[in-house]
Amino acid sequence: MALLDIKNLNLAMTSYEGETHILHGIDLTIERGEIWGMVGETGSGKSLTGLSVSRLIPSPPGRYLAGSIEFRGKDLLRVTDKEMRVLRGRHIGMIFQDPTTNLNPAFRIGTQLVDVALHAGRADPSVLGLAAGASRGDLRRAAQRVAVEMLEKVGISKAATRINDYPHQFSGGMRQRVLIAMAMIGKPDLLIADEPTTALDVSVQAQILRLIHDLVEERNIGVLLITHNLGVVAQICSHVAVMYRGRILEAGPVGDVLKRPGHSYTRALLNAVPTAYTKRGELKGLNGLMPETAA
Amino acid sequence: MLLYILRRLVLLVPVLLGLTLLLFIVARILPGDPVGLAAGPNATPELIEQMRRELGMGLPLPVQYWNYLTGLVSGDWGMSIFTRRPVFADIMEYLPATVELVFAALFIAVSIGIPLGLLTAVNRNGVLDYATRTAALGGIAMPRFFLGILLQMMFAAWLDILPLSGRFPLIESPPDHVTGLYTIDALIAGDWLAFRIALSHLALPAIAMALSPLATIMRMMRASTIEVLQQDYVMTERALGLSNRLILFKYVLKNAMTSTLTVIGLYVSWLLGGTVLVETVFDWPGLGLYATQAILTQDFMPVIGVTLVIAVIYLITMLAVDLLYGVFNPKVRHA
Amino acid sequence: MSRAEQTPPLVVPRRTQSARLENWSRAFYRFRQSWLSVIGLGIVVALIAAALLAPWIVPYPEHVVGGTNTAAKFQPPSASAWFGTNALGQDMFSLVLVGSRVSLFSGLAVVFIAVAVGTMVGAVAGYFGGWVDEVLMRLTDLLLTIPSLILAMAVAAALGTGVWNMIIAISITWWPAYARLVRGEVIVKKEEQFVVAAHALGASWMRILGRHILPNIVSPIVVKVSLDTGFAILTVASLGFVGIGVKPPTPEWGTLLSEARRYMPDYWWTAVAPGSAIFLAVLAFNLLGDGLRDVLDPRARR
Repeated sequence: MALLDIKNLNLAMTSYEGETHILHGIDLTIERGEIWGMVGETGSGKSLTGLSVSRLIPSPPGRYLAGSIEFRGKDLLRVTDKEMRVLRGRHIGMIFQDPTTNLNPAFRIGTQLVDVALHAGRADPSVLGLAAGASRGDLRRAAQRVAVEMLEKVGISKAATRINDYPHQFSGGMRQRVLIAMAMIGKPDLLIADEPTTALDVSVQAQILRLIHDLVEERNIGVLLITHNLGVVAQICSHVAVMYRGRILEAGPVGDVLKRPGHSYTRALLNAVPTAYTKRGELKGLNGLMPETAA
Repeated sequence: MLLYILRRLVLLVPVLLGLTLLLFIVARILPGDPVGLAAGPNATPELIEQMRRELGMGLPLPVQYWNYLTGLVSGDWGMSIFTRRPVFADIMEYLPATVELVFAALFIAVSIGIPLGLLTAVNRNGVLDYATRTAALGGIAMPRFFLGILLQMMFAAWLDILPLSGRFPLIESPPDHVTGLYTIDALIAGDWLAFRIALSHLALPAIAMALSPLATIMRMMRASTIEVLQQDYVMTERALGLSNRLILFKYVLKNAMTSTLTVIGLYVSWLLGGTVLVETVFDWPGLGLYATQAILTQDFMPVIGVTLVIAVIYLITMLAVDLLYGVFNPKVRHA
Repeated sequence: MSRAEQTPPLVVPRRTQSARLENWSRAFYRFRQSWLSVIGLGIVVALIAAALLAPWIVPYPEHVVGGTNTAAKFQPPSASAWFGTNALGQDMFSLVLVGSRVSLFSGLAVVFIAVAVGTMVGAVAGYFGGWVDEVLMRLTDLLLTIPSLILAMAVAAALGTGVWNMIIAISITWWPAYARLVRGEVIVKKEEQFVVAAHALGASWMRILGRHILPNIVSPIVVKVSLDTGFAILTVASLGFVGIGVKPPTPEWGTLLSEARRYMPDYWWTAVAPGSAIFLAVLAFNLLGDGLRDVLDPRARR
């Protein structure tokens, strides 16, 4: 049984212009220990695929025309809202792009971490190192302890005092570390990271990627990393899927796809990445249409 | 923190000085003959002249102002020509009634307006949303004094379940004076009957005053909740499995409160000023009724006194709002 | 054969609308989108028309100038007296209809004076800055801390009865809000390129303010005016209600309501007629103001 198995996922969104077919039969399988990079241009449907796994696309405007998203053998499109909520945070963690807007500015980071830890702990006390049937007080104390531990783990020094600080007292990179801690505190089996480093400085990007990589290694979880940066994929991903206009053109181990791209779009995408050898004025762009129609 | 409050309080002193000067000038340059009015139509010119001297009105203006200012500090706020009592004593007698009324109205407006705004923002364009939004338009346009009269007609005259006017029946004795707020005093004394009587008198005027702020607070709360619900952090909280209840009543509420808080603060002044209308309708023995009587007899010392008291309450409220603003928005606190 | 038939006339595509007209029609379209605003506009137009035509359409003109008919006192609403009659047998409909003249006129006059004074003070303070700004704004702030209704009542009482005294008294408490608004807008606009350019061309400060800055801040002022007019009418009625302002027999909504209070609850119509008139006028101007704000200030929408 695969950790995550997306089969023929078809999504349509309604806007004032009418219903538009957005995802055209996405197929993707993620196993534990795999880091899947999902690359593609803006609007190719990468983020919507990620949000679909956590079932965060409201309906309306979203509507699934066909397909299934099986997580540990259970179809997420068919579970109840209550079951889905237990899965979120406890079994599926999420990190979003902009660390400046994804932390609630009115609450201490500790409050936010503890609430997520409590949610996961209520679903499964072992997450907080407790036996089943632990009392509320035990849960709360354990959640507080785990929150500090998690902050230390993501590399925040003096975590025990900094846990009482507000988001605006942290730098951008630090905030993304806090968000990673929030996503990982429930010991999820699957992590969905939607452009986690795009809003950060290049130097901080590498640290954050290393952090995600190490956590994944240590806990042996599956990751869906959504990005438009092929450099990021080359650095930490084990597998890659190339998306274009709501379809996956090509998917497989990162070495195969990036070294021997089977699809001309992937080739064009790779060529568009500037390297140290790119001559001035040679920066290539994509013209937005598929270079060839045949896959 | 304490230092900040102290600094803000010190900064109030020049504002109050300016306020007294302004009020004093306005009161003196306005036409009108309060002494003549008070002395009655049969008073001789000599009598009026004597009253004038007793009230210190023959002195040069700067001297009069200085006397007034030194009097203010020592608790001598002048004499009311109309009640023939010291203004300070009058105000101390009427202030609790007004404070009770304004707090009751504010309590109703906030405790209903905020949850309603939150709920309608979540169920946007639902039946409740449309109904409350339409009602709010009417609520804001409804004159307080007309609403008061309608409420009297409905609950006092036709249904006969609440008293028509007044604050406490004359034949009963109000609860022992502790705060001066009858409902609170009755609770302190543990006198349930007195509490019920006080509350039944308070209900109609408080509702009449509360409707408009309730509608505005609701509208403001709805708008800011909708804005907060679209923030990225709400998506993160949802993605990590926090329950809708926790997200709404803890995480969204606090953020949405910041902009609503300013509106609530502004309404304190509006409510205090509006007591002149509602207290007239309900014969509520508070500052508003006192000020109205003073104004109608052109008795200026009470008017200045009442205005000053209300301005001070308003300024302190704005200070409290600023402090609360820091509670809801930690960025402001640390800046 | 005329020349016109020999040479076909040159076809110049005529523009059907000027750009300005097009802007207006687009704005009007947006305004029409909200049916509440259209209702508001309709009621406002009807109220103003009724007030203007009142002397000609009033059913019992003699009642309005103090005539009484005690034989017909406290008649409930009927076909001959739509809103019933009061303690003096006067027709309430006639009184409310003619009362709209004082209420609407005073409300509009208050806002007009407040805008004129407030704009002048705010523009000067914002444009010159420095100590001029300090002095004017401190005064404005002081006035804003005083409960406006009490100040207006006190000034009106001291000035004596009369429509104009009441209008002046209320205006004194209303201009500071406009001064604050205009000052803020002027400070923003002062830094814009076109103002700097006018400066460089040697335009006088009067010209820069009058021709370059003020025309660009009309929108927020219009929005505030339309939202304020209803409350100005309400304030006029409030003063009448506590017994300050116009004296009988001149009918005025607030005064009518205050008199009716004595005959409650048996003769409820004497209170309901003027009270509903105040409510309706305030509501209509508020709806209109909301609609105008959506059109002129799209940022504040929702």
